[in-house]
Amino acid sequence: MSASVRILRRQMQGQLRTTEWRALLIATWIAITLTTLLSLLGDRLERGLLRESASVLGADMVLSSQRPIQTLRLQQATDAGLTSTSVIQFPSMISAGDEMMLSSVRIVQSPYPLRGQIQTRPSQETDIPEPGHAWVEARVMSQLGLSLGDRIELGYTELIVKAELISSPDRGSGFRSFSPQILVNEADLEASGILAPGSRAEFRLLLSGSSEQVTAFAQFLKENLGDEERLFSLQDEQPLGGNALASALSYLKLTSLIALLLSALTIFLSLKRFSQSQHLRCALLLSLGMTQRSMVVLYLMQLVLAWAVLALMGSFTGIALEHMVSRWLDELLPQSLPAPALWRYFTGAGVGLALLVLLGLPPILGLSKVSVSALFRDEDIKTERRGLALQVMCALLLLVVLLSFLEAPMAAFILLAFLLLGGAVLGTIAQFCLKHLATPLAKRLLLGRLLVMRLRQQRQWHRLQSAVAILLLTLLSVVWVSRTDLLKDWQAQIPDDTPNYFVVNIQPWQTEGLQSFLDDANVNAVFFPMVRGRITTLNGAPIHAQMTPEQLEHNTLNRELNLSWSNQAPAHNIMTEGEWWQGETSGPLISVEEEMAQILGLKLGDVLGFDLAGLEVEAQIANLRSVEWTSFQPNFYVIFDEATLNQFPATYITSFRLGQEQQELANQLVRAFPSLTLIDIDQMLLQLNQWLTRLGDSSALILALSLVCGAMLMLLTLQQALEQRRYEGALLQTLGANAKQTQQLDLLELMLLGGLCGFMAAIIAEGIIALLYIHLLDIAPQLHLGLWLTLPLASFAFFTVSGALLRKRLTLDQCYRLLRAH
Amino acid sequence: MTLLTPDGFILEAQNVAKSFPAQEQRLELFSALSLQVKPGESLAIIGRSGAGKSTLLSLLAGLDQPSSGHIKLAGRDLSLMDDAQRAAFRSQYISFIFQSFHLLPELSSLDNVRLPLEIRGDKQAEQHALQWLKEVGLEKRVHHYPAQLSGGEQQRVAIARAFVTSPQLLFADEPTGNLDDETGQQIIEQLFRLNAEQQTTLILITHDPDLASRCQRCVTLNNGHLTERSL
Ligand SMILES: Nc1ncnc2c1ncn2[C@@H]1O[C@H](COP(=O)(O)OP(=O)(O)OP(=O)(O)O)[C@@H](O)[C@H]1O
Ligand SMILES: [Mg+2]
Repeated sequence: MSASVRILRRQMQGQLRTTEWRALLIATWIAITLTTLLSLLGDRLERGLLRESASVLGADMVLSSQRPIQTLRLQQATDAGLTSTSVIQFPSMISAGDEMMLSSVRIVQSPYPLRGQIQTRPSQETDIPEPGHAWVEARVMSQLGLSLGDRIELGYTELIVKAELISSPDRGSGFRSFSPQILVNEADLEASGILAPGSRAEFRLLLSGSSEQVTAFAQFLKENLGDEERLFSLQDEQPLGGNALASALSYLKLTSLIALLLSALTIFLSLKRFSQSQHLRCALLLSLGMTQRSMVVLYLMQLVLAWAVLALMGSFTGIALEHMVSRWLDELLPQSLPAPALWRYFTGAGVGLALLVLLGLPPILGLSKVSVSALFRDEDIKTERRGLALQVMCALLLLVVLLSFLEAPMAAFILLAFLLLGGAVLGTIAQFCLKHLATPLAKRLLLGRLLVMRLRQQRQWHRLQSAVAILLLTLLSVVWVSRTDLLKDWQAQIPDDTPNYFVVNIQPWQTEGLQSFLDDANVNAVFFPMVRGRITTLNGAPIHAQMTPEQLEHNTLNRELNLSWSNQAPAHNIMTEGEWWQGETSGPLISVEEEMAQILGLKLGDVLGFDLAGLEVEAQIANLRSVEWTSFQPNFYVIFDEATLNQFPATYITSFRLGQEQQELANQLVRAFPSLTLIDIDQMLLQLNQWLTRLGDSSALILALSLVCGAMLMLLTLQQALEQRRYEGALLQTLGANAKQTQQLDLLELMLLGGLCGFMAAIIAEGIIALLYIHLLDIAPQLHLGLWLTLPLASFAFFTVSGALLRKRLTLDQCYRLLRAH
Repeated sequence: MTLLTPDGFILEAQNVAKSFPAQEQRLELFSALSLQVKPGESLAIIGRSGAGKSTLLSLLAGLDQPSSGHIKLAGRDLSLMDDAQRAAFRSQYISFIFQSFHLLPELSSLDNVRLPLEIRGDKQAEQHALQWLKEVGLEKRVHHYPAQLSGGEQQRVAIARAFVTSPQLLFADEPTGNLDDETGQQIIEQLFRLNAEQQTTLILITHDPDLASRCQRCVTLNNGHLTERSL
């Protein structure tokens, strides 16, 4: 064994100097770093925010509804032997002195919560705030400049801040869970005057009991669930639907797929190259008496040793990066993240081992089969293409490992296919362009013919190289631009008079007062009534039966809609078909949004039936109108004629613009109408922007690591290509060309390749960004000059510099030797 | 201890055939070769390029399997052994010298010579290796790396490496092929001196008539037939 160890040590020392080993090490390191980072971060985010653990739900099961929970449900729960408690959560303005902010209010009753614990500072005797008190999160306290014992206003009541809320379960789902929260006793709800019929609020019934009771009741509820009701239980361990964080996480994971793919490719190529370089050596070792077994062990040991070091390093860097990223996200998260599961610390190392062993085993087993007799012939030793089954099996296993790590197999698969296909197409196009670029050049150059010849010879290599370079540069630029410019460009295109405030939950009796308040301040605002209802029938028959599964997916069919009424067409909508009704109408009429009509196949004259708080109303489609959803005006899918709808309980909504100098008005408004909810769009955009920036930073980080992998891959292949060229160069030099000319030839090729890749990446990135602008943001695409300058230059520089560095100059003497040795 | 065939040969080939699958028809190098070598003999194999000399050598050394026929080495029939047994057998009795030296570049002369002993688990590897380097006149080059040695010196390291395991049989494929005449001559001298001292059986391939004439026997491989040339 000592001989093996000595050989191993020497072997590794020598190999550390070779490009293939360096590439292998760096690629593995990056792969381990990334998997560690994502595994830890993903676990912490999921534990803390996404997965419905009892301590997140605050119960074993939660029934959530947009309307007050029926007393029937409470009765049913009690009958089933379950403990229950009610929670109402709604957004509301909180003010203290001159400061105010929008926060999420939770009205609770004891016992609360049913599972998990509320943490407060200082810790409290009671499980919920006493009447007249509030427990408030740090973000509210700092923004409103509060300290314990201060008073805050919630609607028409005043509450004393008794404790700081450090963490609490049952934060609610979706973005609600991200708003700063305050906890209030149900005794204070009425006095606040906030909640009126039609107000936006989520009503929850928290339930707990033995697991049989819960399972049985969950089953019962699922069969009887109303349209407005949703059930969250521990049984279906799914991320809360539509959670922005969940999408962000899978976005990051998919980004890292690219890096993993590239590192796997790099590891594969370097191992292949490494094993090729080892053929002669293995034959020699065999001829000196080493057994095949100990040789396999020797090389496996080398891999495992490398892995051990890299696993340590990679886990370390992964953990460090995770700290960095979670700190970026921390300010945006409602509460600090829990520690990850212990085994998550080892995923990176595990994936690394899988990568190395699964990719390394086939070539290493191949090494033990080299034929010693090849030492007599001085040609390259070719091992037979044996072990194809082994290779395929290893590749499949690796795929399983990577996909199971990503936890989103389908998306990962599609992305993988897209990348491979896109890479193949891009590579071919790039190689085609290269050929046509070089032809005119060739006529003017001394060695031009050789350049053309080389481009033909090396076309495989050029394809691979350019595909990787173009894909990476494109992705990086898209992420970069969307991180910085996307929102900025979008905001720049919003007309100056676009509303930046929404007021919701306006009660009918408040409209007049609010109108005159705004009139006095010279603020232009139109009020729209809102009534909640569901579409039930089309032309007399149930609508669900008449729709295809895709149509049923449409927003308007699977939830309650906000309906409005008006006897005038909204000024910011454009009529596309039919006319708005004038004066008295003969029967109920509605105006329908054009796109909805198109998707659901609705025509003028069709009759839609609605369920409005239990009452059936049918109305005929009188006209269609197009709506600009991003205009920040109140917009509705369906608008009724006034006479039909105004008998139903409604709240009002309005939006308006306050200039920079009018901000004080917002404070005054909240003070004058404490129960209203004022939504500051600028503030929300700022938050969105922060999110995009952080997400962009995180994915840019991952892409930068992919770029390093890609660079390794390129260097690896570049070096191989350059080595082949040394012989060609040597031959040319002995035939009379000088060293400078052969160098020029090599560099010219790389310059062309680099410049072309950068240029193509700029085209594609600009194209993708333009698509984003048009389809996602609905604004005119813009030219990003920076891209067009930096990309070609950076790529040109990378190829040229690395080529020049890798390429070793040959003296004529060396040439002869090189040729003789070959 | 030398094991011999009942007839007293250390190496015996009987009706050995070898063919390779070529593009259209099989390339048959030889169909019925027979050869006997006594212990301590030196045998030169000559023949034009492409005749199959190297192929024959790897068959004789058990590196490759004949299409048919038997090769008996030190009393054992190679075709009856599996790969691992052949390898173990080889490491016990055989050493090689190659045309292009094949030293491990990252090992010093000493380490290169020591390597086969270490593979066998010899505790006194270093001592033996030093002794053999001295034997080939390289005591001043012990810590040099192959890249720092001339071709002749490299081949001498390779010779030391071949002898250090005290092999019964030494196979050499054009040991002077990569060297100029004078250096080649020195190498030949050394090889034969050590061969005589160690009582090793030497089988070598060469293009060099001088070298061939130094051997006790010389066979020519031509059109798949071996003809013994009396010297
Ligand atoms: N593995 C193989 N597969 C197919 N053909 C082979 C193989 N090994 C050798 N040959 C062929 O067998 C013939 C003999 O090769 P060999 O190397 O034995 O010749 P040689 O006599 O040693 O020639 P040289 O003096 O040039 O070294 C050649 O034509 C060669 O192409
Ligand atoms: Mg030969």
